[in-house]
Amino acid sequence: MRGLLAVYRREMLLMQKKIGKLGYVFSSVMFPVIYLFAFGLGLGSRVEVSGGYVPFLAKGIISLTVMLNAFQQTSLSVSAGRLYQRTFQTIILSPVPALQIAGGIALAGMTRGLLVGGLIYGVAWLAFGVPALSGAAVTGLCLSAFCFAAFGIAVGLVIGDADEISLVNNFIITPMIFFCGSFFPMQNLPEALRAVLAVLPLSIANNLLRLEAWTIQAAGGAAVLAAMGCGFLWWGVRGLKQYDE
Amino acid sequence: MSVSRMTAVCPAAPEPALLLHQLGKAYGRQQVLSGISLAVAKGEIFGLLGPNGAGKTTLMKLIAGLSRPDSGRLAIFGRDGGGERAGIKQLIALVAQESNLEREFTVREALLTYARLFGIADPARRVEEVSRQFDLYGLRDKKVAVLSGGMARRLLIARALLPEPRLLLLDEPTVGLDPDVRQDIWNIVRQLAADSVTIFMTTHYMEEAEQLCHRVALLKDGRVMTVDTPDGIKSLAAAPSAAMTLESAFLRLIRGESS
Repeated sequence: MRGLLAVYRREMLLMQKKIGKLGYVFSSVMFPVIYLFAFGLGLGSRVEVSGGYVPFLAKGIISLTVMLNAFQQTSLSVSAGRLYQRTFQTIILSPVPALQIAGGIALAGMTRGLLVGGLIYGVAWLAFGVPALSGAAVTGLCLSAFCFAAFGIAVGLVIGDADEISLVNNFIITPMIFFCGSFFPMQNLPEALRAVLAVLPLSIANNLLRLEAWTIQAAGGAAVLAAMGCGFLWWGVRGLKQYDE
Repeated sequence: MSVSRMTAVCPAAPEPALLLHQLGKAYGRQQVLSGISLAVAKGEIFGLLGPNGAGKTTLMKLIAGLSRPDSGRLAIFGRDGGGERAGIKQLIALVAQESNLEREFTVREALLTYARLFGIADPARRVEEVSRQFDLYGLRDKKVAVLSGGMARRLLIARALLPEPRLLLLDEPTVGLDPDVRQDIWNIVRQLAADSVTIFMTTHYMEEAEQLCHRVALLKDGRVMTVDTPDGIKSLAAAPSAAMTLESAFLRLIRGESS
């Protein structure tokens, strides 16, 4: 575990260096805050959702914030360090086993995702009085952060240049942002589309986030998210074991 | 192939620090390295010379574990260099041609991070020790991004030596540095060899190879042309004049002008 901790500390130190930079703050915090206020104030009183639209929206935005920060910052850290700055060599040359490298980077990605997600929750609580999150919701956020951080490692190791990461963002991440129930309930979407969307990790995380308490459905969703995260982590570990510049 | 079999195939000093047997590497359809077989003795300073594109950096990456050979095998201090190489990674260090330092870190943070990754027992103490040894202690709170080329290179070497490797890979260690800093780095290399660290280095500077290396290999189009001492290389080039330098011998051999 010492190797995992060393990798985690390295990633956290890199994050600490970036936190003060305006670009980092804007890309990770401002985007969800703008969505929260724009949709919350603009549509809050017009959309009818059980429990109120603003709490529904706030939880959806917290969920996508966790996803974006866990995935994008992780995939960027791995891919830029590998392709441009060459700093990923430092990790590859070290004797830390692949599983611990992936574990350390995933844990750092989770931390980034949950920190910014927590910040957005704080803003939503202060501005709109969004109620406290249930145990199922917190579990969903943690598992979602793990799942997307692990996905970020795998993607960061596979892509060949910056354009390919845009492809992943445009064809996988952005559709999930808008279709997986972050901004509006999925029940008005066509049934066939709903069936596909239901198995995507952001949909599962959103469902968990809006549950008031643990249910069989919540346990099932959590198990699926955990399994997806482990699958992505395995993919990342495989990429590290086959690392080839 | 077992390590003992490889030793038999590549006869050299007993228990070489580094043994390469028929290493090959291609990127797509381009064959970058073919049939590379070399043996480097413990404590030796071994130089790899060759024109641009000869495959020197690729060979360095294969040895360091940043790249994987398509064919052949390598062994480091008798240990097989395939697989995850966790045991081997404690024994070797690479100082890459392009800086791979985290520019956001301070000198101390860069060293501490590396020390932790290598599981060094008391990383803060070891970092201080190496910082002082390499005249980096006064710069410990400076950002890597503001270091001069010479200081950054010094930091790269200091960082590589934190886990006390037995084989140090130096890829163009003095490229782009002024003569004063180059002399500094030569002294460090000589001291390391005196401390029984095996050095495997690439260089474009023939003077550097002549000054430092016990033996050199000439690499051309991904193949080893010859391995010899710098004086042996000069003889091999059939020197027409007594004043032949390693550089003129290198050029004659690379251009195929030797008799």
